[in-house]
Amino acid sequence: MPVEQAGTGDPAEGAQLFAGYGTDPAFYDEMFDAAGAPRAHCRELWEALGETTRDEIATMQERAERSFLHEGITFSVYGEEGAQERIIPIDIIPRLIAAEEWDFLERGLRQRLEALNLFLADIYGPGRIVADGVVPADLVRGCPQFRIAMRGVEVQHGAYVSVCGTDLVRTHDGFLVLEDNLRVPSGVSYMLANRQAVKTSLRNVFRRHRVRGIENYGRLLRQTLAELSPRGDADPTIVLLTPGVYNSAFYEHMFLAREMGVELVQGSDLVARNDFVYMRTTGGLRRVDVIYRRIDDDFLDPMAFRPDSVLGTPGLFNAYRLGNVAIANAPGTGVADDKSVYAFVPDMIRYFLNEEPLLANVETHLCRDPEGLEFTLDNLDRLVVKEVGGSGGYGMLVGAHATPEERTAFAELIRQNPSNYISQPTLDLSCAPCLTDDGAAPRHVDLRPFVLRGQETRLVPGAFCRVALTPGSLVVNSSQGGGGKDLWVLSA
Amino acid sequence: MLSRSAQGLYWIGRYLERAQHGCRLIADQFETMKDRPVDEIDKSWRRLYLGLQRAPVGGELRSNLDDEQFMLVDAYTLADDLTFEPGNPDSIRNSLANARENARQVRNVVDEDLWTCLNLAFLEVRDIEIVDIWRDRPNEFYRRTEDAVRTFFGIADGAMYRDDGWHFLQLGRFVERAQLLAGLIDAQLSVYSAGGSQADRATDPDWLSLLRICAAQDAYGRLHSLQFEPAAVVDFLVADPLLSHSVRYALARICEALDAVSAGRPLLVEAGRRAGRLAATIDYDWPNRDPGDDSTNRATLREIGDSCRRLHDDIDAAYFSYGVEDSPEA
Repeated sequence: MPVEQAGTGDPAEGAQLFAGYGTDPAFYDEMFDAAGAPRAHCRELWEALGETTRDEIATMQERAERSFLHEGITFSVYGEEGAQERIIPIDIIPRLIAAEEWDFLERGLRQRLEALNLFLADIYGPGRIVADGVVPADLVRGCPQFRIAMRGVEVQHGAYVSVCGTDLVRTHDGFLVLEDNLRVPSGVSYMLANRQAVKTSLRNVFRRHRVRGIENYGRLLRQTLAELSPRGDADPTIVLLTPGVYNSAFYEHMFLAREMGVELVQGSDLVARNDFVYMRTTGGLRRVDVIYRRIDDDFLDPMAFRPDSVLGTPGLFNAYRLGNVAIANAPGTGVADDKSVYAFVPDMIRYFLNEEPLLANVETHLCRDPEGLEFTLDNLDRLVVKEVGGSGGYGMLVGAHATPEERTAFAELIRQNPSNYISQPTLDLSCAPCLTDDGAAPRHVDLRPFVLRGQETRLVPGAFCRVALTPGSLVVNSSQGGGGKDLWVLSA
Repeated sequence: MLSRSAQGLYWIGRYLERAQHGCRLIADQFETMKDRPVDEIDKSWRRLYLGLQRAPVGGELRSNLDDEQFMLVDAYTLADDLTFEPGNPDSIRNSLANARENARQVRNVVDEDLWTCLNLAFLEVRDIEIVDIWRDRPNEFYRRTEDAVRTFFGIADGAMYRDDGWHFLQLGRFVERAQLLAGLIDAQLSVYSAGGSQADRATDPDWLSLLRICAAQDAYGRLHSLQFEPAAVVDFLVADPLLSHSVRYALARICEALDAVSAGRPLLVEAGRRAGRLAATIDYDWPNRDPGDDSTNRATLREIGDSCRRLHDDIDAAYFSYGVEDSPEA
């Protein structure tokens, strides 16, 4: 594999930390250009970090990690005994996004969420896009996330998806949308916590940059949720509904509840009575107007969705259907982030907005189509195969990294239930410098910005940047050994 | 306030008070062990375990103190049992872990500084064992741990907004304190006077130790010089409204907290009536007792302990686990 020595822009500067940094021309590097020189918007960072010794950087790194442990910024990993609470590893070298890059991303994200909300309003309403043959009817109706009960339910401002976390990657061809997370996207607390940690430990470097602020996320979220209130009053009662302390994202639920100053409730704290929803307080039952739920549809209301669930609040959905309480995101949004439906998002943008999509999709083969299935099975060694309803890096096959036996076994799964799978080419995820024992080294990264939609669309200039800490690994999920980085959007 | 959040804060208060009490008991025990004869140390351990209503490891706790069969288990094992024993739900480590777990569940209503303080205290005890603290000066460990609890309440006192969250934290702390004090004083009277013989009488160091556990020796000294009149010591710890580790003081805080969370109408809930009755018993009945009648006085103390347990049930029923059907809209 050809390796270029980076950090050669000026031998005197940036030398220490980046001395051994080897870029791989196969991947776009976020900090260095093809010639190994720092990109214009990264030059300041390169110089500033270059002045710091490795030991100093390592100390900062350790300080940031320790503060995570002390402050209990943790996530849980399923099925790992004794390791229920872990910190998300943080890499202290920030990833920089130039002002014009962000402007483009922001426009693309707004466009995409607008189309997705129109799509949801349509499939649970008049159903034009299906009638016009743009999206196959059985794809929508057959999707396990399609909620027939949502038919005809009035949703405030058409905001089915109020909180969207879009996964973006960059290749040499530019930014691509890897997936839209439209159900209960998480990670925003790490975006904020990483900023806090990096801003503190790298304060001298931070000060030399004009980094756009993201600290008002909680306020924007609260404002967005308030706009969904069925009562339309100035100060609605908003709650954040969590599955509880054993959920992997519990820290985030707690964090957001505090940021917004709202109650953090579990299903058992809520009571539906006479088609209204209440929470149990020390002073009796108190009416709830907006529920920001961080649990899946299935566990919202056993009467409406899953009778065997002990988590939900019986009668909640009926109160919602009657317009007495708002639920964000709305039930049934999962149909739009199904990995098969994903393939049609560019068409949705054209259909509903009459615009060309700004952000491209990853080339996707649907195994439900005979050609897609054949292509997938023939090229398993260079494709990534995913379950259409999967998430978190579970239930997927990275062909290039799998053994022949694993591929054969997976091929059998695909043949048994083709419509459950899609395949995509292995992506050449861009790299960014990460701190290792041997100075900075390239690691693959993606980013997840968060877009909010109430009466209007809002987003903070930032994202949870995930990084695959294992050299060469393309899997950035925190449940699979990934870590986080702070992402600095620079102002013009 | 959300019932579950209030409940979480209430339990943080209880568990931290329990942890602190444990630290004080053991720290005092080390003082006793410094310079007192073996049978005195033995009695002191008995008092400690009896007060906690726990059977010591390696032997049944007998109420009959003439029983020669009672074996003194070594201090190392007993301290381990009270500090780190995983099977002891009230061990200092478990109490801190429980306080921290409650805080984690309701962390959105716990101030950041409080959480950090509690989390650090927990991380400190999480990975050590009795052998680690025994190596040099175990006293240091108990002092440090108690300091962590004191810091927590110091921060709470200095920074917490005085809404229901604060009042439920106080409620938990002082219900626990009243209950622990009643148990401890009862145990003192049981261990040192039950036999009636001169040999079993409490000596000055035994009373000093009791006062030390209750952080009351200085105040007592100012009032009575260091004349350890048993009746005066017991009365001080039960009925003095100005002593922060007295039953009466704890009840006053409980009544205050109930008053605040009941919007000034505490007598509408059973918890408020019970706490009020208990306070009145101490104010009006306790002074008329016969100070020499240990068994009646012990019965009174056990009644206070039982009332505290019922008070807990009342609080739970009124604020945390009430039936939805008969609940009014807030």
